[in-house]
Amino acid sequence: MSALLRYNRAVADRSWSDKRLGYLVSFLCTAAVTALLIPFREQINSTTTALAYLLVVLFIALFWGSGPALVASVAGVLCFNFFFLPPFYTLSIAHSENWIALVAFFTTALAVGQLSAREKRRAEEAERGEREIERLYQELQTAFQRASQAEALKQSERLKSALLDAVTHDLRTPLASIKASITTLIDEARAPEFALDKESRFEMLQVIDEESDRLNRFISGLIDLARIDAGELQLRRQWGTIDEIISTALARAQPLTQNHDVEVKIEEELPAVRVDERAVSEVVYTLVDNAAKYSPPGKKISIRASLFEGMIRMAVEDHGEGVPVGLRERVFDKFFRATRDGDVRTRRPSGTGMGLAIAKGIVEAHNGRIWIESATDGQGTRVVFLLPIGDEEKSVSSVA
Amino acid sequence: MNERPRILVVDDEPQLTRVLRTGLKSRGYDVRAAADGLSGFETFTDWHPDLVITDLAMPEMDGLELCRRVRAVSPVPIIVLSAKGEEKTKVEALDLGADDYITKPFGIDELLARVRASLRRAATAMTPEPESTVLAAGDFHIDLETRHVTVAGREVHLTPKEFDLLVYFVKHSGKVLTHRTLLAAIWGGNYVEQNEYLRVFVGNLRKKLEPDPSSPRYILTEPWIGYRFNS
Repeated sequence: MSALLRYNRAVADRSWSDKRLGYLVSFLCTAAVTALLIPFREQINSTTTALAYLLVVLFIALFWGSGPALVASVAGVLCFNFFFLPPFYTLSIAHSENWIALVAFFTTALAVGQLSAREKRRAEEAERGEREIERLYQELQTAFQRASQAEALKQSERLKSALLDAVTHDLRTPLASIKASITTLIDEARAPEFALDKESRFEMLQVIDEESDRLNRFISGLIDLARIDAGELQLRRQWGTIDEIISTALARAQPLTQNHDVEVKIEEELPAVRVDERAVSEVVYTLVDNAAKYSPPGKKISIRASLFEGMIRMAVEDHGEGVPVGLRERVFDKFFRATRDGDVRTRRPSGTGMGLAIAKGIVEAHNGRIWIESATDGQGTRVVFLLPIGDEEKSVSSVA
Repeated sequence: MNERPRILVVDDEPQLTRVLRTGLKSRGYDVRAAADGLSGFETFTDWHPDLVITDLAMPEMDGLELCRRVRAVSPVPIIVLSAKGEEKTKVEALDLGADDYITKPFGIDELLARVRASLRRAATAMTPEPESTVLAAGDFHIDLETRHVTVAGREVHLTPKEFDLLVYFVKHSGKVLTHRTLLAAIWGGNYVEQNEYLRVFVGNLRKKLEPDPSSPRYILTEPWIGYRFNS
């Protein structure tokens, strides 16, 4: 509010100093025109002279408004009468027709002055309004910006706390099984009358063993993710073959895929690649693990490798429920699980939401690309990734 | 109870059900496990367990819905397994009629103690009191007709509301009672948000009953949830 007042006062001040200048210019211009026309007094008629004064009035009105225009009109009338209407150098007028000319001039000058001044005022007001609107618009825009920034911040905080919840849940789940197993064993040691049979005791130890591995895997995954996020994934590039990478991954995944029909097709004469073999093998393992997890036993899982536009193209395809188109990018987000967060109903246990995120990180660290498409027959999932051969530094580390 | 008590364990984490099955079996319980609420409820209706232990977050049907469905047909004790961060859901489950809760990770001895207490409570609730107007539990002796109360032989004078609250506590001894449950039972459904009523009356009861009101042994506080009476 006070800003608006200050603004108006500033405008008023400016117009006042403007106006003073206007009065001065009115006199000067009238004097100039008079001085200019006097030498030609005999050659030009009074209409031309009147028009010249009118021009001055118009000019003054356009730039300084009605007050100075009025002054210019009066000065014009006086000069016109004094210098140009006979008898010269008096304010009396000889011919009555010159009276009419003078009155006509004065009226026209007044009208022109008022009209053009009003026009000018309107233009100024419009301009001022425009500026005001512009200012309000700017203000609104900054307000919106500020609000949306706050919202984004809040959202990212929410996301962070959701991630933390997911992580602690995944850390605590194996811990719950371990703690329950261990206390069962302790309990038994304390109260021999509730002795477990050998088999049960072994089962408890097995649970502890398996769940510690699970915890360890989860923590390794977290570390990998953190490295990828920080851009610190260290690739140990070596020359190797796709054959070897895939067979290593499949050997590791064997316990998971024994109930599926695994089919591998590797194009002949694929070039050697210079990649981090362990990391790429991990990607293949993750994809095969997912394929086995999310497709029913007995179904086919096919793994393909070929050359595509100078890059290695690998695809792992299953015949499960598939990933809905809308989730195909989000499944690569860390801790996102289609089975839990994406409304994909399944009884199968969901993973940790890290596998695909890590796979994406590894592929991208190799300057590759990974995505999901529908499987050949429209059913199931096909995860594809492209991997540059990595021979940019071929000359440096030629094949031994 | 000549037969081995039957316990139904519902959790989507197979490793945990594996452990609980073994641990509970070694203590002479008959155990069955289910991986989600839906199959859990199916087993419940077919098998008629004496106690249900259920996780809260599960696929198909969650623990809350399972509590609701079981409570609709049976007073069987329910123990809820909750993870940290599920506090709200846990209280909801207790409001829905779950008897007790245990937070993961837990030791088997802790779970066994809760199981024993719940089964004991269920057994006493099952045996109908023959026309008795006297409530006797541990140190407490309450005559419902004359409203005469003694604690460990010492006579105590209670206001009518204090008396009602104590009777409710004694009748549900050992069970976790949420603020909401207590307020609804003693003051009625319109007062379920008035936690301060409860705090005042529990404070008064403790002053009159407890040997040391600052470290209560009868009316125990379950932080953020409610109270548990221990006779």
